[in-house]
Amino acid sequence: MWMVFKKEMLELLRDRKTLFFMIALPIIIFPALAGVVGYFSSKAIQQAESKTLYYHIVGEQYAPELVQALETSAYFSRSEKVTSDNFHAEIRAGNVDFVLEIPDNYSNNILESGQITLKMYLNDAGLNLVETRLKSIVDKHTARLRETAFAAVNLSDAQQQAVLQPIVLTKVDVADKRENWGEKIGGLIPYLIFILCLQGAMYPAADIGAGEKERGTLETLLISPIERHKLVMGKFFTIATAGVMAALTTISSIALWGTVLSQGLAIAFVSEFMASIGAIDFFLMFLMLVPVVAIFAAVLLSLSIYARSYKEAQSYSGALVFVVIFPIILAMLPGVELKGVWAWVPLTNVSLAIKELIKGTMDYYQLVGILASTALIAGGLIVFCVRWFNRETVLFR
Amino acid sequence: MIEIRQLAKRFSIENPKKLSESEKKDPRMKGRFFHSVQNVSFQCGKGEVLGLLGPNGAGKTTTLRMLSTALQPDSGHILINGTDVVSNPVIARRKIGFLSGTTGLYGRLTGRENIAYFGQLHGMSNVDIANKIDTLSELLDLDTFLDRRCENFSTGMKQKTSIARAVIHNPDVVILDEPTTGLDIMATQTVLNFVRSLKDAGTPVIFSTHHLDEVAELCDRVTVIDKGETKFDDSISAFRGLASGSLHDSFLTCLSQEHAAHHSVASERG
Repeated sequence: MWMVFKKEMLELLRDRKTLFFMIALPIIIFPALAGVVGYFSSKAIQQAESKTLYYHIVGEQYAPELVQALETSAYFSRSEKVTSDNFHAEIRAGNVDFVLEIPDNYSNNILESGQITLKMYLNDAGLNLVETRLKSIVDKHTARLRETAFAAVNLSDAQQQAVLQPIVLTKVDVADKRENWGEKIGGLIPYLIFILCLQGAMYPAADIGAGEKERGTLETLLISPIERHKLVMGKFFTIATAGVMAALTTISSIALWGTVLSQGLAIAFVSEFMASIGAIDFFLMFLMLVPVVAIFAAVLLSLSIYARSYKEAQSYSGALVFVVIFPIILAMLPGVELKGVWAWVPLTNVSLAIKELIKGTMDYYQLVGILASTALIAGGLIVFCVRWFNRETVLFR
Repeated sequence: MIEIRQLAKRFSIENPKKLSESEKKDPRMKGRFFHSVQNVSFQCGKGEVLGLLGPNGAGKTTTLRMLSTALQPDSGHILINGTDVVSNPVIARRKIGFLSGTTGLYGRLTGRENIAYFGQLHGMSNVDIANKIDTLSELLDLDTFLDRRCENFSTGMKQKTSIARAVIHNPDVVILDEPTTGLDIMATQTVLNFVRSLKDAGTPVIFSTHHLDEVAELCDRVTVIDKGETKFDDSISAFRGLASGSLHDSFLTCLSQEHAAHHSVASERG
């Protein structure tokens, strides 16, 4: 059996396509792409932040203080190009970034004038800082107007506070940080791992099943005196190893690049979060992945040996991705918990259990059942795969 | 010595609607089954070379696949040196060296690694494998390309490597399915010389072919299969005697004169 495994691994590692998909893609190319995207978006934000915004004001005479604030700000500059009242066209033509319309009821005494509505015309489709910057100026004026009004009606500081916000709702979260974040990202992690495992196993599976048929090496292999189950197990372990390796490479690459790129706060948060999970929970997650990978490998190998050609095998395994995504999506739905029926749905139960482990709210007795049922399914599929390899109608289609 | 008696194999038809008209007219089509091989018998003794002839679709490859244990016969016997191997395919696999007609190599392994892998599967030690590869390399002219990856091999290089792989475990019987098809003249000659060396070593060789000149050059015995049945099984001289002209005439006579062939088989058994 290990002879077959050794040879399959050797062949796999000599294949540039495999190496590319298994190693180069997750380690270099994905992070590089993410880096490029990050670079351009941060550059765009920087540009938007340092850019001077051109404005035009209607009703200038009603609020000289506000206009004064705009004029002295370094971020704003008055546009000289506006010639018409058609602000739509002026903004589209790029003559001005925004137009501020001040109503005639603007005054320093809001108790008399009532609420003041400032209208701002802008093209809000792209990235812009018009609202943020205007708000910082307007807020100062708002605070002053408020103070004046409160002083006029003789309210104490405490009363002012109460009038501004009569009722405050405060939240006391009994979930700790781990549970909170575990609920948010715990569903995504099994999804990521499962799909990566499957993707990593797909290519070698197609190659060492249908690929052997296509190249004409299968018949020769079948008539060598190695027992059929050893042959199947050798191939099975190759596929499973490839799946696990692909998942581990990608995840460690994400972790590594995440640590390198993120700075300060994010790092502290991530490491704190990871530290709270604990070694035993990590080990249990890995332990549960073993039968899952075994299920993937057995199904992929069965499909691959049934297929007449490499291409056929690839389309079968492509369809398998959808079959696998479904139970994982179920586990991500709100309200689906590791209870009752859900604890017995294969794949869904493992994703739920991984989520529970990340959250730190795992009922460890459940684990025995999940592990046992998943292992049972995996074992059954392996037995099926060996039987499948003994059928002439499958091998010589 | 290898002896095949009344071998038969049928395949079930998954979708009868897909069959062509000529396939439906084949007398071997019975109900939902296609009786590819119905009654094939022949034998090949020590140091003999047997040429297996027959038109395309006659059942030659199915017969050879049963001999190689890739397919399980429905009925009949295969005896190697007196042991029936139908019920115990693993023994047969150790005794038989088989080259399939559609064989391939692992492209990303070198020629040597390809051959050695099958040596290992046969449970040979690394030293034995290395020695045997050296011997075969000399016989089959492999040394110029043995340590290169197979994906760039020419047809001739591939076929020679495949033959070396088929006989790495010193089999008692060697079966070659159309070993010279698609080869150039030089490579064909190397293959034929190799068959001759097996014959000299006393190993029975069965090979199927469409080239009657190879039969004339090498074979001691000839078996003709048509429509899944043995039509002729006798010595090369008896085959020559079927018609006054060339071996081609003998072959055609054999296919048309079914009765005569049956008679020949009957007398052989008697």
